[in-house]
Amino acid sequence: MGTPDRLGGGPAIEAVGVTKRFRAAGSTGSTSAVDAVHDLTLSVQHGERLAFIGPNGAGKSTSIKMLTGILHPTAGTARVLGLVPWQQRRTLSERTGTLFGQRSQLWFELSPRQSLRMLAAIYGMDRPQETRRVAELGELLDAADLFDVPVRSLSLGQRMRCELAACLLHEPAILFLDEPTIGLDLLAKRRFRELLVTLNEEGGTTVFLTSHDVADIEHVAQRVVVISAGRLIYDDSVPAMRRTMLSTKLVDVGLEHAGASLELDGVSVLEQGDSSARLSVDTTRISIREVLGVVLDVWSVSDISVVDPPLEQVIAEIYAERRS
Amino acid sequence: MTAPMLRRLGVPADVSGRRLLASRDGLVVSVLFYLIVSGVLSALWRAAAGEHGEVAGYTALALTWYVFTAEAATCAINVRLIEEVGDEIGSGAVAVEMLRPLPVVAVRLAAEVGRCTARLAVLLGPGATYAWLVAGPPPHAAAAVLALPSLVLAVTANLCLQHALAGSAFWLRDTRAMWFLYQKLVFLLGGMLLPLEVLPGVLRDVAMALPFMAMSYAPARLASGHLEPWLLLVQAGWVVVLAALAGAVFAAGQRRLQVVGG
Amino acid sequence: MSRAGPATRAVLRGAFTDAAARRSAFWTQIGAMIANDLAWVAFWVIFFQEVSSVRGWDVDRVLLLLAVLCTSAGLVLGLLSNSRRIPTLVADGSLDEVLTLPVAPLPHLLVRRLDTVNLGDVAFGLVLFAVTAQPSPQRTLVYVAGTLASAVLLTGFLVLTGSLVFFTGRSESGDLGLNAVLLLASYPADVFAGATKVLLYTAIPAAFVSGVPSELVDDFDVGDAALLLGVAGLFAALGWATFTAGLRRYSSGSAWGRG
Repeated sequence: MGTPDRLGGGPAIEAVGVTKRFRAAGSTGSTSAVDAVHDLTLSVQHGERLAFIGPNGAGKSTSIKMLTGILHPTAGTARVLGLVPWQQRRTLSERTGTLFGQRSQLWFELSPRQSLRMLAAIYGMDRPQETRRVAELGELLDAADLFDVPVRSLSLGQRMRCELAACLLHEPAILFLDEPTIGLDLLAKRRFRELLVTLNEEGGTTVFLTSHDVADIEHVAQRVVVISAGRLIYDDSVPAMRRTMLSTKLVDVGLEHAGASLELDGVSVLEQGDSSARLSVDTTRISIREVLGVVLDVWSVSDISVVDPPLEQVIAEIYAERRS
Repeated sequence: MTAPMLRRLGVPADVSGRRLLASRDGLVVSVLFYLIVSGVLSALWRAAAGEHGEVAGYTALALTWYVFTAEAATCAINVRLIEEVGDEIGSGAVAVEMLRPLPVVAVRLAAEVGRCTARLAVLLGPGATYAWLVAGPPPHAAAAVLALPSLVLAVTANLCLQHALAGSAFWLRDTRAMWFLYQKLVFLLGGMLLPLEVLPGVLRDVAMALPFMAMSYAPARLASGHLEPWLLLVQAGWVVVLAALAGAVFAAGQRRLQVVGG
Repeated sequence: MSRAGPATRAVLRGAFTDAAARRSAFWTQIGAMIANDLAWVAFWVIFFQEVSSVRGWDVDRVLLLLAVLCTSAGLVLGLLSNSRRIPTLVADGSLDEVLTLPVAPLPHLLVRRLDTVNLGDVAFGLVLFAVTAQPSPQRTLVYVAGTLASAVLLTGFLVLTGSLVFFTGRSESGDLGLNAVLLLASYPADVFAGATKVLLYTAIPAAFVSGVPSELVDDFDVGDAALLLGVAGLFAALGWATFTAGLRRYSSGSAWGRG
């Protein structure tokens, strides 16, 4: 793939003060207004990999839908590849690809190849172009053997790879993904994330990904934006966030019987009972390996797992950081 | 059916009725649909009677009350009943109900009769008003009063037969086609689209002998000014026969479920 | 747009293959539809045996009206089947997939799905015409043209009533509009009087869906034909305009499940 389309040489995505207000009719007949997105200001450069993270209902999908022109904002302006999404939607959609995790571009009873044929006609590709591109995508996404299987027979992970093919068919400059890894098993998630990184690094495609999975920050993004209750509360590079926010890991321990109390610098015991314990580890002060070593020594462990802190905790930390 | 069992059946009937009345939007749409259909069909018959004085012994006034009553008897029933019950049998939802102490079909019928009677009550107000405004009061007061219990019997008979047919889902898989056919038979031979007196000779005799006449024709005949109380007896007879049929089909079907598996 | 033609063909082909793959109960459904239509024919035949004519309409004229209606409705509900689904598609956010493609949303949406079962009605209407309406080349031509105009009108009407969901948020209105117009169109408009009759030539143009095209077959009048085309065009334009205006208010199912 050649250099991505650059219109005007400015940022790939630029949003200023974008707000989306919904009026919902209450059950008593009154109307209330809710800002699903409030005053979003954001700038994304060509070739960036950005994760747009937030809990359910935070406004991630609404934001992506405004940037792709599906929704009209209540206030604010935006330009994607130099175009105003909701005014120049069709032109913009020729240069962007969009994947919604819970929706499908592919027809259920048909094979992906048949859906791709239809999409190729829509994108104005002639047959040789289409054939070449489909073969390319089959190789890139390791999905060539899936293209002739009816979509209804594919597993979710396989289907997502074919959906990805559908939105890459026309070699878009920006790839928008809305919760693409929902419902995928761990292995499928990992493969998908690797694909996104490859597409970005080798093809130069800008990747704009929404998610409520913190692991997407670690494995895909170079930059992370956090949205909560419609408002942007954090915007920084992933290494910076890792340094300041993601240094905490949780360790869940299953115990065969009650153990002695644990005192370690950098470790706080959140809960300790007869059969289980939960530790919070500040990895800037002590490594996980050390902690595991001590725990296995001191306690009779039946089970142990290390997890990322839940998103709500990360967000709480962000708010706490802001206040201090 | 002992007294305590009947009392126990009263509960699902009552609950369904209440739930129906609580869903306001669906009711409004039902009432509108009923009024439009009845209005249109009765306009046709009034136009026909207008030119020729009367049709098959019915005046324009009689025909109006006929149509509104016949339509009420059919609109009161959930049109997708056979399909839904068939689907529930197919999906195994009925199997869960078999674990309860009362016969499955009795509970379902009680619930449906409750719901449909509630819907009937909602339809009759606007329906009677519309008919009165557009044609005049019912031709025979006593007969019109008899039409009310007749409507309940009509709905019950219809539900019994629909359940019996839906029970075929214990054996077949798709009950949709059956519902279409059933509906058309009720429309034509049950006297919903036209009074049975309009049917030519042999067809009329056949129609009068079939259970469909109890589901639409009987209450409509009464409401259109013909004091023929024996119709109620005929309806009651059909209710007994069709309820027994529904019971037999479900019992046989449940036995099959237990042997063959869901 | 030079691309619209091949793109539409491709979508139609895809929709057809997709529909053909859903074969379950296809033939029983077609049989049921034909039984339904036959029941209507039986009704009218019996009716007119008892009542030789009503306000100038006899059995032949009414069967011709039915032939137009069956074919027209069959075409719309079969080939442009999403025209009846606009409220549901809007309410559950299904327009998203269409809006991410470089296509005009309404045409793509309309051809995107076929309900081939309704082609049974098309066949029935054509057969009914052939059997009862004494088809001559001229009559057949008028019938085909009138039916196509009726189909355009019906589609426009469905898109118009369906697009109201953008403004009202209620999705039951779509089906009510469809059932109302089909019901009213299955009777000759002359049966009605006063306000209702006016309604059938205006807000719910049932008379133009079935009555006017069928009358043109028997008694072609250039003025009436022009009027039919005009009304069809008008409702098509109104439908398109309402849909396009509604898109600006599209909330993609978000008012219900915000995210």
